Amino acid sequence: MAEMSVIWLRVAAGLYSLGLLHAILMLIRRREHLFRVALGAFALGSVFHFVSIVEEGIVNHRCPITNFYETLSMCAFLIVVLYLLVHWRYKVESLSVFIFPLVFVMALVATLGNPVSAWSSPVVRNAWLTVHIVLVLLGYAALLFAAVASVVYLFQERELKTRKPRKSYYRLPPLGTLDDLISKTMAVGFVLITLAVVAGSTWAFIELKTAWISQPKIAISFFTWGVYLALVCLRVAAGWRGRKAAIMTVVLVGFSALTWAAHARLGAMLLKP
Amino acid sequence: MKLLITGVSHKTAPVEVRECLAFRDEALPAALADLKRREGVAEALILSTCNRVEVTVTTEDGADPRAIVDSFLADHKAVSPHTIGPHLYRHEGRDAIHHLFRVAASLDSMVVGEPQILGQLKAAYAAAKNSGAVCGWLEGLLTRAFSVAKRVRSETGIGQMAVSVSYAAVELARKIFGSLANRTVMIAGAGKMSELAARHLRSSGASHVFVTNRTHERALEMAALFQGTPVEYTRFVAMLPEVDILIASSGAPHYILHKDEMQRVIAARRNKPMFLIDIAVPRNIEPSVNEIDNVFLYDIDDLQEVVNANLRERLKAAERAEELVAEEVERTMARLKVAEVTPTIIGLQEQLEQIRAGEIEKARRKYGPFTPEQEQAIEALTRGIVNKIAHGPISEIRNHAGHPDGAHVIAAIRKAFHLQD
Repeated sequence: MAEMSVIWLRVAAGLYSLGLLHAILMLIRRREHLFRVALGAFALGSVFHFVSIVEEGIVNHRCPITNFYETLSMCAFLIVVLYLLVHWRYKVESLSVFIFPLVFVMALVATLGNPVSAWSSPVVRNAWLTVHIVLVLLGYAALLFAAVASVVYLFQERELKTRKPRKSYYRLPPLGTLDDLISKTMAVGFVLITLAVVAGSTWAFIELKTAWISQPKIAISFFTWGVYLALVCLRVAAGWRGRKAAIMTVVLVGFSALTWAAHARLGAMLLKP
Repeated sequence: MKLLITGVSHKTAPVEVRECLAFRDEALPAALADLKRREGVAEALILSTCNRVEVTVTTEDGADPRAIVDSFLADHKAVSPHTIGPHLYRHEGRDAIHHLFRVAASLDSMVVGEPQILGQLKAAYAAAKNSGAVCGWLEGLLTRAFSVAKRVRSETGIGQMAVSVSYAAVELARKIFGSLANRTVMIAGAGKMSELAARHLRSSGASHVFVTNRTHERALEMAALFQGTPVEYTRFVAMLPEVDILIASSGAPHYILHKDEMQRVIAARRNKPMFLIDIAVPRNIEPSVNEIDNVFLYDIDDLQEVVNANLRERLKAAERAEELVAEEVERTMARLKVAEVTPTIIGLQEQLEQIRAGEIEKARRKYGPFTPEQEQAIEALTRGIVNKIAHGPISEIRNHAGHPDGAHVIAAIRKAFHLQD
């Protein structure tokens, strides 16, 4: 991508990050403190984003949708425009929990198309990687907690639905408590995994230059994060709770396990003669 | 010291006998004072509830507690011994302690695990304490009984499971929602059971009650009872998205709430769970409503099934509670045995210490004064000798505490060491 185009896109991504902050606060505190600020930043970010796309088109004398990064940037921009239009017409604030982080991550990835110089020192490189790993592990711990609570939820829900209490009915905690626990641990886990994805993709970009995006394990990570985002959005925005949400949480742990296996090169280890 | 519990309970006597022996609250102080005044009585307690009347006394070793209690009952209650005789039970010593612990832990109650008996026993203790009828050994035993009851409740969970349909509804609501704070309840129809369930839910933290009835005047009356809001019968389905718990008990001969209506309600609630209690016969809510996610429907038979399961659980918990009580009785008996021989051990130690001090003083007069080093050496030497001499008899006393022949061994040791009674 052209130099100036990337700079405008970085400014836009910076403004979109306020949207991510709003989503995090909404997930953790269940209050919409920052929505107006985030929406303003989102609208302003879209202007810079538009400038970036125009700049890219003028410099290359073509529509900027010819490579992955340009397409991603264009796609993110279209989502922004569509969201602003929908919000202007229907005032659907709850959708922001899904759209804001998604657009931020898409814009962030789109800025990573131009290779940058290598790490300034190995200490910074290792520290960056350590931060990524710690965030991922903490996120997984929270997610695992949510999954265990979900399994317990499914047992207790079945007990209550069958209306014939057995031993576990007396021992397991109330559904309300479990649902609350699942929501909270999911929210904390999502925040940690999102930060881990940002840290990890930045690290991979600097480390592997433009080849980073073609790594299968990175694609799997983004996919898992996308599933996580969708689930969180379904819980917060669409009011998904109860049995379906508990099953989805368990499924998400399955995806996370796949992502972990891809990173730990479990496949290669297992296939070794 | 002798301990005797004499009484009748729902297990041994019909209500006609129990009511003859019952003591009214206002008559208790005088009765306790009279019992305490009788010769040989050390302490006394009277427990009088609708399910049991028990007179507990501790007496000196020489007294006959049975005769004392019999004469006390004959003086206070106009019933012939022939009438009450077959219904009376008497527990003495260890049995009495076991019985007291079982009663306090609600293992001897009509509904095993019910909490009222502990409060009644505490009230009986307070009355006895105020009358000066308990002031020592029995007081310690009662305090122990209260701790045993507490331990049984916390370790077995015997009182946690509801054994009435209305309480079972509250328990289920807690299992669904966790806390009932800020939950809203709607009563559709009238009836004692729905009123009772709503009352329990309200006292458990439910924040607001809506009432609807085909007769609006009745809805107004019931709403006033709960400081709730009356709702027009035709609007009650429209109000449901705001309701967490619905108690349906209308006399309608058909379903008043169908699956499709409930699907719309749960969608409007954004899948927040709902607890539907259908205690009407014929039923008010279409049974297939229970198939909807986050909706929990219980009819009267389902609630009864929960109550039955709870009763079975209580009986299992009672088995564990009996073990705990037996363990506590053993522990108390061991403590009592040690307490019994403690004066002898202390007397022996004091006697030997007196001899040791006297002999040192004699030696000091004859050979002293001693240097500090010599004093220290003499002190260590004599203390060592005395401890070695005392070790044998003290071990024997401890070993024989509570044994049938223990009293002879202890008496022999007391005699050998010239310990005064």
